[in-house]
Formats: sequence, C-alpha cells, structure tokens
Amino acid sequence: MTPTDTAPRVDTAGTGSPLPQKKTPVLPARLAFVRPSYWLPVVALVVVLGFAWNFVASGNPYLLPPLSSVGEALASNPGYYLHNAWVTLSVALIGLAIGFVASYVLAILISELPIARRAIMPVAVVLNVTPLVAIAPALVVAFGFGPEPKLIVTALICFFPILINVSTGLRSVPQSVVQVFSTLHASRLEMLWRVRMPSALPFLFTSLRIVFPLSIIGAVVAELAAPGAAEGLGTVISIASSNNRLPVVYAAIFCLAILGSVLLAIITAIERRALHWHESMIGAKS
Amino acid sequence: MSLEIPVRTNDTISIDGAVKIYGAGAGQHVALNGVDVTIERGQFVSIIGPSGCGKSTLLRLIAGLEEADAGEVSVFGVTPERACAAKMIGLVPQTPALLPWLDVLKNVSLPAKVNRGADRRRQKIGGHQTKTAPDMRDLLEKAGLGDAVHKLPAQLSGGMQQRTAIVRAFGVQPDVLLMDEPFSALDEFTRESIQGQLLDIWDQMNTTVVFVTHSVTEAVRLSDKVLVMSAGPGRVTASVDITLERPRSEAMLKTPEFHHFEDTIRDHLQSAWRQTPSTSSTAA
Repeated sequence: MTPTDTAPRVDTAGTGSPLPQKKTPVLPARLAFVRPSYWLPVVALVVVLGFAWNFVASGNPYLLPPLSSVGEALASNPGYYLHNAWVTLSVALIGLAIGFVASYVLAILISELPIARRAIMPVAVVLNVTPLVAIAPALVVAFGFGPEPKLIVTALICFFPILINVSTGLRSVPQSVVQVFSTLHASRLEMLWRVRMPSALPFLFTSLRIVFPLSIIGAVVAELAAPGAAEGLGTVISIASSNNRLPVVYAAIFCLAILGSVLLAIITAIERRALHWHESMIGAKS
Repeated sequence: MSLEIPVRTNDTISIDGAVKIYGAGAGQHVALNGVDVTIERGQFVSIIGPSGCGKSTLLRLIAGLEEADAGEVSVFGVTPERACAAKMIGLVPQTPALLPWLDVLKNVSLPAKVNRGADRRRQKIGGHQTKTAPDMRDLLEKAGLGDAVHKLPAQLSGGMQQRTAIVRAFGVQPDVLLMDEPFSALDEFTRESIQGQLLDIWDQMNTTVVFVTHSVTEAVRLSDKVLVMSAGPGRVTASVDITLERPRSEAMLKTPEFHHFEDTIRDHLQSAWRQTPSTSSTAA
C-alpha cells in the first residue's frame, strides 16, 4: 500500500460554508399560551362541565343552583365576597407562617440531632394522622371564637408536610459535598447555612406547593367548626346553607377555588425564580 | 528540639502501619493491612491499583474522613484533623461535588468563606509557608474557565465541572491536594487535556498532590512517584519513581521512555494481582 492509501482523510472544507440556522419560532416560548392548541382543550372541558352543571341544575334547583344564579349572587355583592375572602386568606396565611416557622425550626433540629428526631417524629406522625376536622371543634371550645383556634388549625395542617420535606432536604446533600466541606473543617452552622439549607430549597418548595392550598382548607375547616364566628368564607357557607341560600354557598365555594388557585400560581412563580438552578427548572425551560 | 517528642518531620506526609477494617466478625473486610507510605512535600504521587484495593480508603485516612484502626497518619507533622482545621488539605472527589445553586466563581470562592480561623491555626504549624490568597478569576482563567465564570454547574460539561472542582481545591492554597479518581468519568480527549491543565496549575501552585487513579497512563504522565497497591487485604506492593522530565506534554505519551514506565507499572500490577488470594478477588 502506498502512504496515500492509509493517510487519514481530513475534511478541510466546512469551515468556510455558512452554519445552518435554526428557524426562529413566530411566537416566543413565553407567549406560547396564546395558541389555541394551548388553551382550547381546557376551555372546551370547562364549557362542557358548565352545560352538564346547568342540565343537572335545571332538573333539581333545590340541590344545585344554575350557574347564572351563582353568578348573580357574586355580582350583586362583590364587596361582601371580597371582604370574607380576605378574612379567610389572612387567617390562612398567618397560620401558614406560624406553621412554617415552627416546622422549619424543628426540621433543622431533627436533621442535626438524632435524639431530637427520635423524640419529635413519633409525636408529629400521630398529630398528622389525627383528622384535623375532629380537632377543630375541641380547639374552638378551648380558645373561643377568636382567631386563635383558626390559626392553630391552619398551622397544624401546614406543619407536617413542611417538617417531612425540609428534614429530608437538609439531609439530601451528596456525600462527596459533605466530604469536601469537612476536609475544609466547615462548622456545622456554616454547613447548615451554606450547604444544607440551599440544598433543601427544592424540598421546601415541594412542601409549600402542598401547604399553600392546604392552608385555605385549614382556615375554612376552623371557620365551619366555629359557628359563632362572624366572618370568613367558611362562615358564609355555613350561614348560607342553613338559610338554604344555595347560590351564595356556591359563590363562596367558587371564591375558595379561585383563592387556592391564585396561591398555587404565586408559589409556583416564586419557585421558578428561586430554583432557576435546579434540574427540574432547567428541564422545564427547554 | 529540646522536647522529647518523637520528631515527625514537617515536610512529609507519613503513614505508618495503617490498618483499616470495615465491619466486624465473619463479615469483616480488611481494607488496609499495614500500609507504610511517605510522601515528600511538593511531590506528585499517584496511587494505582484495582478496584477494592483500598486506595480511596488510604486517601480518606489522609483527609481525616476516616480514622485508622491501627497505625499513624501524619500530614506535615500534624494529625489529619488538625491539618483540616488549618485548611491544609484540599479534596477533589470522584464527582465534581459543586453546589448547583452557585455559579462557577461563587463555587470556587466558597472555601475561603468557611472556617475563617484556619489561617491563624495554620501559622502555628511549623514548616508552612504563608502564601497570598490567589485571585480566583485568574485561576479560573488558567484552567480554561474564563468564559464560564458566571455559569451554573448544570450549564457546564463534565470536564468543565471537574476543572471547577480542581480550582476550588487549589483555591485555599492547601499543603496537600487529595484527588480521588477525579477524571474517571471523563472521555479520553477531555482527560488528556485536563491532565495538562492540572500539571500547569500544580507547577505554579507548588502543592503536594496525592492522586488516586486506575489508569496507568494517567499515573505515569502526572506523577513523580507511583505507588502500586493490591487488594485482599490492601497493601502497597511497589513504588516506582517516574523520572521523566517535566513539563510533560501530550506528545510525551508516545515516547518509548513513557511506554517503559507504563510497562513497569503494569508488570507490578499484574504480579500483585497473581499473588492476591483468589477468595478476595471476588470480594473486591
């Protein structure tokens, strides 16, 4: 064989030719939701459900009010619903804040001290499996019709998901990272603040996505359990249902659904910002 | 010295009769059995051997991540724990172990922000020369990461992530850099170029390096000395001085001298493998 036969072939062209370009889409990705293929399926389903609702309601007006009367109830006194929604929302958020602080502190304790884990976890589990609906009336008896029992119920319902997720997250640091920082002799506090707490953020947001809607449930359960309470969407529901004003009941339920969805949307948006570095978000972008 | 303390020299990392046993009773596994190693300051030493020969265990003993069941480990005259407290040890694990929420610059700057009392402790330990803290941007530039300073680890290739981990370890100016198969997950091209970059930085930083690997070529190219280990139980069976001149470019990989050292080490590895009791080869 001559040397030319075995010489590797080298493609020297290609550098001069223009690079192929990807077609830019007509709509940027963040505006994708304006396409009918994006919103049409859900709108279609809602329309179908609305017709089904009205069909059932027309046959049984005393069981289910037609949507138009629910709409009238909302439109006739929007300030009333807004005010009561605000009352329920503030109970939910304050209770959530209390539950968050308590569970986060305990999660740190649990993850740092095995003895705290053995003491706290069984109690937390029992508390979690006890139905809150059953605890709420007892708390109302103990604390009266003020905000306290509502805040306690809401805090309790938010407590467990945060505790479990954050304590898992704080211990989710890979062994290799722990080794790098222990050869640097980083203190436990430095480790907690600089490594463990940021590592736990994805777990924290997972729990927040659970407890934000749950906090509304907690507030409403507490309001329903305290019949003497004056305000809040739960109270609106219990009073209106005892007066057989079904459109008002469903208007309040509708408000609660909106409230929960808005909270969920807010927490998801915050999560997207805060976890922009996380695999789940990097996957979502592309 | 006037004191009657056995003088451990400040200029070596010494391991005397190190024994490490995992488990107990019938299920016990002797990872290291009477390992003696002396590494001089400024040397680049590789430890090579088959999987399960205890080379990573040896590294963890020096890093103070594990304690020997018998024997002594001294890092430039002090215990591994004191050495860690004085930030004399830098670790590059098998995986880059970067913090995914910090960009490259913040990742490599983080070690300076933890354990701030280390410098004070370090000055009390003899034999240590104080060096000025390196400019991390500069160091990143030298490692070929100049364009990636503000990128997140997830946006980097595996080779870039591992280079970031190396810069992070060099950044605290450690007296010794411990590297545990840092390039084993990289492709061959990346590995060869990253070896060159490691040698460049090592040359400037004048650090002792203990490098665990299972690649003969890698060991020969990087090291002043190669320690060959065998399994069952783990022990050092040979020590080969690599007298190739530096700097060692990629072109040197093709020279006969280079192949000669590779063959020597392969021979040592194979003879150690033959001597290994057959029972332990399955356990490894």
